[in-house]
Amino acid sequence: MNSVISARGLRKQYGKRTAVDGIDFDIPAGRIVGLIGPNGSGKTTTLKAALGLVPFEGELSVLGFDPRTQRDDLMQDVCFIADVAILPRWLRVKDAIDFVGGVHPRFNREKAERYLAATSLKPSMKVKEMSKGMVVQLHLALVMAIDAKLLVLDEPTLGLDILYRKQFYQNLLEDYFDEHKTIVITTHQVEEVEHILTDLMFIREGRIVLAASMEEIGERYIEVMVSHDKISAANALQPIDRRTVFGKSVMLFDAGVPGASGGISRQQLAALGETRNPSVADLFVATMKGSYA
Amino acid sequence: MNTVTMKWLLRREFWEYKGAMFWGPVAVAALLVALFGGTIVYALSGQHLPTHLTINGQSMDHGITVALDTKVRLAKMATSVYLVAALPLFGLLSAVVFSYCLGALHDERRDRSILFWKSLPVSDEMTVLSKALTAMLVAPIITIVLATLTSLILLLVGCLALSLNGMNVMGAVLTSPDLYLSPLRLVALLPVYMVWALPTVGWLLLVSGWARTKPSMWAVGGPLIGLMIVKWMSVALQSLSGTPLNLMHHAQDLVARLLTGVVPGIWFSYDKMVLPNLRPTENGIDMNSLVTHSYATLATADAWIGFALGAAMLYGAVRLRRHRDEG
Repeated sequence: MNSVISARGLRKQYGKRTAVDGIDFDIPAGRIVGLIGPNGSGKTTTLKAALGLVPFEGELSVLGFDPRTQRDDLMQDVCFIADVAILPRWLRVKDAIDFVGGVHPRFNREKAERYLAATSLKPSMKVKEMSKGMVVQLHLALVMAIDAKLLVLDEPTLGLDILYRKQFYQNLLEDYFDEHKTIVITTHQVEEVEHILTDLMFIREGRIVLAASMEEIGERYIEVMVSHDKISAANALQPIDRRTVFGKSVMLFDAGVPGASGGISRQQLAALGETRNPSVADLFVATMKGSYA
Repeated sequence: MNTVTMKWLLRREFWEYKGAMFWGPVAVAALLVALFGGTIVYALSGQHLPTHLTINGQSMDHGITVALDTKVRLAKMATSVYLVAALPLFGLLSAVVFSYCLGALHDERRDRSILFWKSLPVSDEMTVLSKALTAMLVAPIITIVLATLTSLILLLVGCLALSLNGMNVMGAVLTSPDLYLSPLRLVALLPVYMVWALPTVGWLLLVSGWARTKPSMWAVGGPLIGLMIVKWMSVALQSLSGTPLNLMHHAQDLVARLLTGVVPGIWFSYDKMVLPNLRPTENGIDMNSLVTHSYATLATADAWIGFALGAAMLYGAVRLRRHRDEG
């Protein structure tokens, strides 16, 4: 079994609205995948389907289990932080650790306590006494101490300030991730995750518009600072996005799937001006253009 | 079933509902001790009143040595009924269990913490079962323990007050087997309570897991409106064809089972043969026959039809928790 998550024709309707429109994708083991899309594009629904939280149509296999019928088996190996998942207000830090340690065979208590020691949380604190950032810290400490094969994070750092966010992703890479684990992350803060992702999936209006590894994306998408005299030549190559930075035109080109014929070559683009790899954020904006139109 | 997980789930419920399930009854118990205890002390020792004490129609004057058999009878009566002093606690238990069940599957959806609980390897069956057990076992056990403690304190206060008045019944009370058996009898009644409470617990948990808002309104209003509709149909049918609908009696029974099952002792109201046997005698209530007759109600079809209905509703609550999209 190579794929950790494998979807074929995954579909989800909410009344008349189609949240996920028959998508296919595979997520192999040992990857950190960013599932990125605008609000309402279906990314949370896709993750909820994979976690057995919502009914859906089509085929979906997660770690070899069907989330609809084998959720209890699945949850032994999967952990998640759902979109705005809120810890109950009455829960104390020490009770939370005791409880998760009591019910989860893969929970490492020392690890959780180590994470918490780096925060200002006290064992006797109740969730209702905490700031939003502290609640997220507690939740992350609990989840990161679970040795799950698949970790799903839906906007995990929402409400955390930049210091905690940086620290969280650093911990995730250094202490948590290894080649046996797979992490799927959705976030709006693309620029903060792009350096830790190995794969990228853009989702728009319930469809996957781009799914590739970061290496592929580096080869495929090229940003060119076009010199003034080459603008018409550049436009002829049909850039997927153009913008102006300090009076210079910056164009984004899709060189096509590497190895395929008929694409634009790097040499062609280099002749137009200075080339570089676009940031995921720029790529995202270019791909999603007109989403809210 | 994984007993370790169940232990933690029960503990989880206790953490969340500690106020209603533990501190509330403790406060009432303390109040009972203060009020009843104060009254006993005030009446028997403080004022040295009454100077004329009438026990079971046998009058005795203050300070006069009471006949031994009166003492024994007094002790026997006191030890067989002393738990009655804690009756308000059992009344409170009905309210606590009722409101607990209504909130148990609703609160976690309202504060969205259900997404956290569902991120752990705990099945919906286990979770719903833990909530049913909290209602039918944990809450009653807490009440029994508190009731026993409260009653014991009141009994001791009473004995002390009597001995200050020159009537020492302490020895007779302490050697009366009923003193020790009464709390055990309450524990022995737990299985009977569970069978009769299940239809209500199942119904309330089902509504709690289903209602988007105001589960109490649905849980109580639903059956009552249903009852009104049946009543209306019955009246309409009678005026049209002359024969009333025979459903009314069953509908009333059903609604009663759905809403009042968590009241301790409610089983006596379904077995009209039992009650006359339970009239207090001159030695107090025959507690053994109370237990025997409670178990006798389990021989009725009513008990087990309700039990099956309750189990089915619990299963419904599990399915709801499993498949409901909390968006």
